Amino acid sequence: MKEVIVPKTKGDALVNQLGSLYETLKSLKLGEKVKFNLSGLDWTCPLLVLPLSAYINDTGSSFETSNTRVGSYLSAISFPGGIRTVTSFRRKVQSNKTYVPISVPKRDNNIERERLETLFMQMLNEILKAGKGTASAIYQPVGELVTNIFEHSKRDEGYIFGQFYPKKNYLDICIVDRGRGLSKAYKEEKGLSFSDQRAIAEAMRGNSTKPNKERGYGLRTSKRIVCEAMGGGFILITGTSALVSVGKKEQTVQLPNFYWQGVAIAYRIPRPTGPIDIYPYLE
Amino acid sequence: MNKEKNTKINIARLIAPVISSRDVMGTLTTEINAADTQMVSLDFKDVDFISRSAAHELLSMKEDLIRERNKKEIYFVNLNSPVRDMFRVTAANRAAPKSKKPEFKAEEVDLTTLLREVRI
Repeated sequence: MKEVIVPKTKGDALVNQLGSLYETLKSLKLGEKVKFNLSGLDWTCPLLVLPLSAYINDTGSSFETSNTRVGSYLSAISFPGGIRTVTSFRRKVQSNKTYVPISVPKRDNNIERERLETLFMQMLNEILKAGKGTASAIYQPVGELVTNIFEHSKRDEGYIFGQFYPKKNYLDICIVDRGRGLSKAYKEEKGLSFSDQRAIAEAMRGNSTKPNKERGYGLRTSKRIVCEAMGGGFILITGTSALVSVGKKEQTVQLPNFYWQGVAIAYRIPRPTGPIDIYPYLE
Repeated sequence: MNKEKNTKINIARLIAPVISSRDVMGTLTTEINAADTQMVSLDFKDVDFISRSAAHELLSMKEDLIRERNKKEIYFVNLNSPVRDMFRVTAANRAAPKSKKPEFKAEEVDLTTLLREVRI
């Protein structure tokens, strides 16, 4: 089996995480089964480990690491299999941790899924220990983005993971699926042929693949809450393209020799220092 | 159907303390339809938050149930401030949606430039 050396992340910025993921997965064939070698890493980050979890589970790939510190962290966050039930989550999770382990909500039991998501989001909120309005600002984007997986991806499971960095005072959240991606969703639901880059733009304009005109704003409002209400940064990857947003600035980038099957979203929010009001950003 | 009594459904117990998904409203509709009273109170005690999508679905479902032949009277009770605000904003946006589609103008950059210049 082909071995893929996972390179060190060159810095702690969210775009460096994107760079690491790109270097790891570029040139892989669609669905190729490989062994990821994480021995060169001295730390990991959500936009690297969560897509790798989803990739490993989806393709039957494997991983190894000779770095015991990284290995024990990966084990603690339940890499790569993740936690799939409320009972397992309660058993695994301890207080005073800075991470919320990889959780895998599934389509088949929507009430169990809703309860697992609730535990995940409540724990993120507890870790952040911030003030008025923060809980809503955590719950709304995670809830909408996970809901999108089950409404649009045509896959039966999604992946979510959160890591707080106490010294840097920010929280990284990653949400991933291995579904059909935005471009294929427009093609299959509306007969529209869009490049990945155009599909990102249409999704951000609120053009829903559903017939109801009041729908299609979940992704856009989530990005606005992260970037404008909370002053964070937001990255979305689908197929061969990515969107990078900070404040009101939007940039799209082509990822040559790279293809992410599905959608991967990562965002970073600084710990709020005052009240947060999400309601002006809802449409 | 009893027109005097009121059935109370505890939302946090039936679904979860954070309501995110549209598809869980099917479970709630089944529960409401199974009630043998005309009045049904949806009790939001211990519900921390409802997402915009879930609030939208619940408001649509409430309208559908009111329109049906054996119409139910649905009341929302014990709403905390974030849940109340979400229903208000969602209902207002349904009643008077923005007429203009939002703009999205992204600058195209290459990966090398992005990795060199962007710091988030």
